[in-house]
Amino acid sequence: MKYLLMIYDNPDTRELFFSDEGRSLMAEMDALMNELRLSGELVSTEALADPPNTKTVRVQNGVPVVTDGPLAEAKEHFGGYLVVDCESIERATEIAVRWPSARYCPLEVRPIMDTGGADG
Amino acid sequence: MRSEAEVERLLRELAPRVLGTLARQHDRFDACEDAVQEALLAAATRWPTEGVPEHPHAWLIGVARRRLIDEVRSERARRRREETVARLHASDPSSVPGPDEDRPAEHDDTLTLLFLCCHPVLTPASQLALALRAVGGLTTAQIAHAFLVPEATMAQRISRAKQTIRASGISFEMPPEAQRADRMRVVLHVLYLVFNEGYTATSGPHLQRTELADEAIRMTYLVHGLIPSDGEVAGLLALMLLTNARRAARTALDGSLVLLADQDRGLWDRAAIDEGLALISRTLARGPLGPYQLQAAIAAVHAEAPRAEETDWREIVALYELLERIAPSPVFTVNHAVAVAMVRGPAAGLELLASTDADDRLARHHYLEAVRARLLEMAGDAAAARHAYRLAARRATSLPERRYLESKAARLSTPTPALGGRQAAANPTRDTWPDR
Repeated sequence: MKYLLMIYDNPDTRELFFSDEGRSLMAEMDALMNELRLSGELVSTEALADPPNTKTVRVQNGVPVVTDGPLAEAKEHFGGYLVVDCESIERATEIAVRWPSARYCPLEVRPIMDTGGADG
Repeated sequence: MRSEAEVERLLRELAPRVLGTLARQHDRFDACEDAVQEALLAAATRWPTEGVPEHPHAWLIGVARRRLIDEVRSERARRRREETVARLHASDPSSVPGPDEDRPAEHDDTLTLLFLCCHPVLTPASQLALALRAVGGLTTAQIAHAFLVPEATMAQRISRAKQTIRASGISFEMPPEAQRADRMRVVLHVLYLVFNEGYTATSGPHLQRTELADEAIRMTYLVHGLIPSDGEVAGLLALMLLTNARRAARTALDGSLVLLADQDRGLWDRAAIDEGLALISRTLARGPLGPYQLQAAIAAVHAEAPRAEETDWREIVALYELLERIAPSPVFTVNHAVAVAMVRGPAAGLELLASTDADDRLARHHYLEAVRARLLEMAGDAAAARHAYRLAARRATSLPERRYLESKAARLSTPTPALGGRQAAANPTRDTWPDR
């Protein structure tokens, strides 16, 4: 079963992780990613650029409306993700608990929709 | 000259026998597995153009053994450099396979191989992947496609599994008699999971995934051929055949899910059903009973009904009572509740269903709610059924199942707002979900 681990950031955590002080946290993150790669659980992972680089896209009455910046000003923003393929949501949650940024900002763990289904 | 497809089929049949022979002789499963993969690759490239050698099994053993020796030699050199004492059981490098090696390997080898791939030290995901590669003869890329993960992820899973086997010092031999039954249960469960992964996949863009059902059937045939007296192996094979027979009927033209009761039984594969029915009746007559045999017996009752209304639900209730006695599981209880509702009415079914409410294993699972919805609908309580269908839809993690449940809820809709009460209050933002 695949799960998406949504990593949230706020301006402070973003700054911390990219500072010298954040190096050990980054190293911890790399080690965990490597561990997941070796266990065959990591499907993909990406970090996102900072929120000001966002374009928000809407189509209103067939007309595209593109604005600069994120959908809403929020204290926390979506900062990156991991897709893992593992035994259970408990295991996926365990991975999220070990993700270093969880000490500063929450992660969300959500199952990815399966395209198959049972008939009985 | 044989086509690539014919060569592939032949190679997949030979793969476990070649690996079995090699692993028995060298007891270095991880290195043997790599060597056999290379030999299979060499054969896949050469045989379609150069022709299949006279003794294909011996040819593969020969090539694989040379790779293995190369590997052992380079390892020896490395160890010498490290000034450690190496004592490796390499076979004579000059040996060439004798003609006797073309005879099929000892039957036990394939079975030993399957037991090794399904060793309890491995995670279920690794057991599945390793069994498909070592016994099913699939490439890592094919397995990765089937499970919809990148090839690198699958390669890592397989390599980790082999490392684990090596590090745990597990040798290539049949499990001791005292552990045989438990280990067999794991093997059957792995085969069942492979089947289910393929069977529940919808056709179309995920065709490669549906092939897993055929692959599971092929491997189960293999095991059944090796130990025909094992009732549970036969039961699992019958269950797979009877279930897979419904494959063409389980999806509508638009790709949506068609449940058993609504399937066009004319689309069922009669030949597979006949084979499954014959197999399960032979097996049940012999005993002792086991959970796969009973599940196959239930599938047989469905398969024997010309129309859904003619299903012998009394028989199914009796089989579920037995099943729950020998292998208690909340999922069986939920299925049992459906059968009870069909015989004694929805109230009796709902009452049985309520007994699973406290079970953590099903808490928040959509299946329990979906069945409750169905029984409430049977009881004529449209509002409660609709609520339960919506709740089940929100819990579903499968797209086709979610669509199905949502459509059931919509069909029961009245002009008044569909949701109220606890769930709506707990998830206020989700009220608008179907309209988004």
